[in-house]
Amino acid sequence: MKISLKWINDFVDVQDVAPEKIADLLTNKGLEVEAIENKAVQFKNVVIGHILERGQHPNADRLTLCQVTTGEGKVHQIVCGAKNHKAGDRVVVALPGAVLPGNFEIKLSKIRNVESQGMLCSEKELGLSQESEGIMILPATSQIGQPFAEYMGFDDVVMELKVTPNRADCLSHWGLAREIACLLDRPLKIKEPSISFVGSTKSKVALDVQDTELCPRFTGTYIEGVRVGPSPEWMKRRLEASGMNSINNLVDVTNYVMLELGQPMHAYDAREIKGNKIIVSKAKPGEKFKTLDGTELTLSGTELMIRDAERSVGIAGVVGGQNSGIQDDTTNVFLEAAYFTMESVRKTARQHGIQTESAYRFSRGIDPSNTLRAANRAVELILELAGGTAYGDQHDSNPNPVEQKVIDIQIAQVEERLGHTVEPQKFTSWMKRLGCDVSVVGSKFRVIAPLYRPDLVIKEDLIEEYARLNGFEHIPEKLPTLGSSPTPHSQEYLLQQKVHQFMRAEGFSEAFTFSFVSDALQKKWIQSAQNLSGFVFKGEPVRIQNPLSDELNVMRQSLFTGLMQSCLHNVRHTLNVGRVYELGYVFDSQGDEFSQNSSLAFISWGQPQSLWSSNNASLFFETKTVVEDLLKSLLIKSYKFEALEAVSFLHPGQTASLKVEGKVVGFLGCVHPVLLEEEKVRVPVVYCELNLEQLLKGQPRKYRTKSISKFPMVERDLAFVMPKTLKAGDIIADMQKAAGAQLKSVLIFDVFEGGNLKDTDKSVAYRLIYQDMEKTLTDEDLQKLDKIVIDSVSQKYSISVR
Amino acid sequence: MSNVTSSFEEISKIEQAALQKVSQAQSTKELYDFKVEFLGKNGSFSGLMKFMKDLSPEDKPKFGQRVNEAKNRLEEAFTAQNQKLAQKEISERLAQEKIDVTLPGVTRSKGSPHPITMVIDEIVQILSRVGYSVRLGPLIEKDFYNFEALNVPEDHPARDMQDTFYIDKTHVLRTQTSPIQIRTMQAEKPPLRVVGPGSVFRCDSDISHAPQFHQIEGLCIDKKVSMSELKATLTYFTREFFGNTDIKTRLRPSFFPFTEPSAEFDSQCPFCSGKGCRMCKQSGWIELGGCGLVHPNVLRAAGLNPDEWQGFAFGFGIERMAIIKYGVEDIRLFAQNDIRFLEQFL
Repeated sequence: MKISLKWINDFVDVQDVAPEKIADLLTNKGLEVEAIENKAVQFKNVVIGHILERGQHPNADRLTLCQVTTGEGKVHQIVCGAKNHKAGDRVVVALPGAVLPGNFEIKLSKIRNVESQGMLCSEKELGLSQESEGIMILPATSQIGQPFAEYMGFDDVVMELKVTPNRADCLSHWGLAREIACLLDRPLKIKEPSISFVGSTKSKVALDVQDTELCPRFTGTYIEGVRVGPSPEWMKRRLEASGMNSINNLVDVTNYVMLELGQPMHAYDAREIKGNKIIVSKAKPGEKFKTLDGTELTLSGTELMIRDAERSVGIAGVVGGQNSGIQDDTTNVFLEAAYFTMESVRKTARQHGIQTESAYRFSRGIDPSNTLRAANRAVELILELAGGTAYGDQHDSNPNPVEQKVIDIQIAQVEERLGHTVEPQKFTSWMKRLGCDVSVVGSKFRVIAPLYRPDLVIKEDLIEEYARLNGFEHIPEKLPTLGSSPTPHSQEYLLQQKVHQFMRAEGFSEAFTFSFVSDALQKKWIQSAQNLSGFVFKGEPVRIQNPLSDELNVMRQSLFTGLMQSCLHNVRHTLNVGRVYELGYVFDSQGDEFSQNSSLAFISWGQPQSLWSSNNASLFFETKTVVEDLLKSLLIKSYKFEALEAVSFLHPGQTASLKVEGKVVGFLGCVHPVLLEEEKVRVPVVYCELNLEQLLKGQPRKYRTKSISKFPMVERDLAFVMPKTLKAGDIIADMQKAAGAQLKSVLIFDVFEGGNLKDTDKSVAYRLIYQDMEKTLTDEDLQKLDKIVIDSVSQKYSISVR
Repeated sequence: MSNVTSSFEEISKIEQAALQKVSQAQSTKELYDFKVEFLGKNGSFSGLMKFMKDLSPEDKPKFGQRVNEAKNRLEEAFTAQNQKLAQKEISERLAQEKIDVTLPGVTRSKGSPHPITMVIDEIVQILSRVGYSVRLGPLIEKDFYNFEALNVPEDHPARDMQDTFYIDKTHVLRTQTSPIQIRTMQAEKPPLRVVGPGSVFRCDSDISHAPQFHQIEGLCIDKKVSMSELKATLTYFTREFFGNTDIKTRLRPSFFPFTEPSAEFDSQCPFCSGKGCRMCKQSGWIELGGCGLVHPNVLRAAGLNPDEWQGFAFGFGIERMAIIKYGVEDIRLFAQNDIRFLEQFL
């Protein structure tokens, strides 16, 4: 909200306080001043000048060379490109040192070899209008040498305040003046409007407030014989200072009074009030209503409306109707100043998406005791600016007045919450300065809050006010004592930490991508209804009702979309090698149910180009190792990789699912070549995603250390010729089953195709490591073991030792 | 009977031949071969033993002694020469094995934490030391936890403070980490000291706001809790976080629906120690977060009796802390995952 200091000064004297001081004070007391605009300072070194002589620039046809005086015998030679000036004109001169809007600094300069000692300004250059032709010519009566800011009446300072939702009382100049008066302990200046009323409003327009719950108070005044026209400069300037445009004198008065006293007002053209009657009641469901700006609304029936005998003429506290607003030829006016409840106005404004200054103030809570005063202030101004006659015997329906809040509080309670001693006198003094009534009731203070502070309801509100006004700096610092043992961190957090550490140790950098993605892209890449049992993205994505854009309109079902986009970002910046992972949530909806699952995904692209590496390691198997090591670090021993074709964005021949203890917990694979081609990616990309919730079931597992055999380990190599279709890894389980505990491990160390092998065959070399816990294995033992291994697999798979 | 003298001569002859060969040896390998030739099982000195059987009993010991003396001298010569040759050989080898140390190191992929995670972990560590433990919560949150229970009923003006993404009538993307407070108070028995980090969402986006960002929130619930204790906790935190034991903090009055009194909390600028610089816009202070005493309505909504339990709460924006601490200049970097950015946090 924008506040004019000059306007504030109408209500409390602050002329002797520097604007920066006031801003600091307000900010430190919870009303943050975000900007100070001082036009007088802005137009430093800009003065009114008189053109003594208009000549021709010697070196440029289009430029003039003027001799300009700014009084006291000072004459400046100024080059000017405009054409509309002549000798004898009064003009606006920006002298060296001036800084015009847009941070345009005026300096002594040479234009085509002729010195120019300033600039003659146009309205545009002064920031007074968007467009202007030629320089600004002032009336001949203007005083030579007068500062331009003074001439324009720019002697005001405007402050932009961030008013928090609880401080509706500060949304007006009067309200803020009241706060400043409290902070500075200065008196408020109150001017009673002087109006001579004639006749009776009630005899002109009848009032029937049917819903007194949503409209506790309604003040109405009838004014006859006004002339609609422009507002005077002083009013336009104040409205502009507060960020409002001038429309006409009547509408301006309603806005002016709202900015001055915080009471939203509405003026109706009285000839449009059918049946000379105003009714306040709820809308009819399905009713159509056209607002001032012509928007047609269909009402639901919960809205509080202002109606005449036939139709609705305004939505209470939100916006007036097109059918009854002030026209250029309006002569008779019905002026509304009412108190509608916060909840009602807010709900209606939100429901129809209408934001008005009026709705903003009502929905934060205005002062219910202020309607008559505001009405009379408006009447005073209308009579002054538009003429006419005001009718007395005004309507002031107030059947169930808003009651003041009574709060009992003990000093000990204030002390306890703030943690320091509080002098009762200091406390009561601040409460009184706030406008509260304070009395002593037994051992307590009874504080009655003023109606303009609807936010003061409970004792905590008063403690906050005292802390704020007295200053937080007076609160001493004392660390709390620990009364009970700390609890453990959440298990989920601890396991996440473990996974984070593991992934970084594996050489993956952590990525963060948004939890929402483009529905179209997610659909395109991941496709709906991919049924990977036990894993994510089987339902529909969770939709955001009010997304920022189509790029971020559904919750992600997999981390793939975000990580693939991150990979593309890097590849497009020629960062052709990368290893990143993300630990985040994925979302799914089934009917009305949402699920959010913790997921771990990592994406690898490209191979490091290095002097030392051979660069032909398979990215798929590099990734597989990461998964296996992760399982090892989680002490998971029973797992299995199986070929998988179901993931649409992965290569159907280069993808595996991971089963842990019989359940699918994830998959890994090379990104589909078609996708890579579409995105013009020329390096291999491998992606893996694991359902962390599944994976971390039963974690943390316990380490059970096994003793180490003292007897020698023996390596034996065996190669088998087998059909290419046979999965080389599957055989290992058979070997282990057959050989028993003496076979410690089996490693595939070579796969060979071609040579004298059949086209459909391959040779796979296994390294078997034997060891016994109790004895050294003899040659005889080893031959026996080899035979068991060979017999078991060659029988089962019909393969032979090479 | 063989002549002692001639056998002695034979010893000298062999010894001379051996010593000469030793002195001429070019490599340790050659030297070793000579050693075998003279001193080995079938070497020349073993050959001398054939004289033994022809010597008189009194000459036998003399002969033996001579042989041993010669052998010893030879051993010494071997050792000396071996040492010399070995030294020469190792220096030759070292010279030959010289590498170009300016060639690049072997590339290994390195993993770094995201700066957001770094800030969260650091804050968690600092607060853990004064008894706080981590709690997490869902991102799609019930309206009740995100608003109602936090003293922001439907149609309350405070709802305007946060632009909310809606999922359906009763669910939103959480706009703050505060719902974690409510969930913890409902699930656990006080006293409580918990810290809740995580993603939050607001539907405004511009150069300085991303629609998804992170917060961390601390909550302390006990029989008696005061502003004084809140202030001290925040000062402790700030000093630890910036690693500066002199840094000052201050509270400024503000408004949050879920705390009362409410305050913004500022730290003396860690870059200029309060003197004024570009980072603090010459004010000497930087805004870190919001805080206050838990509003009684919030305690009530979470099932605690405000006459029995009190609390304070505080929260920070993680990205802001990362910007201050690591000098990140563009918030878009946080979600872009450019590896040139990520790898700076190794």
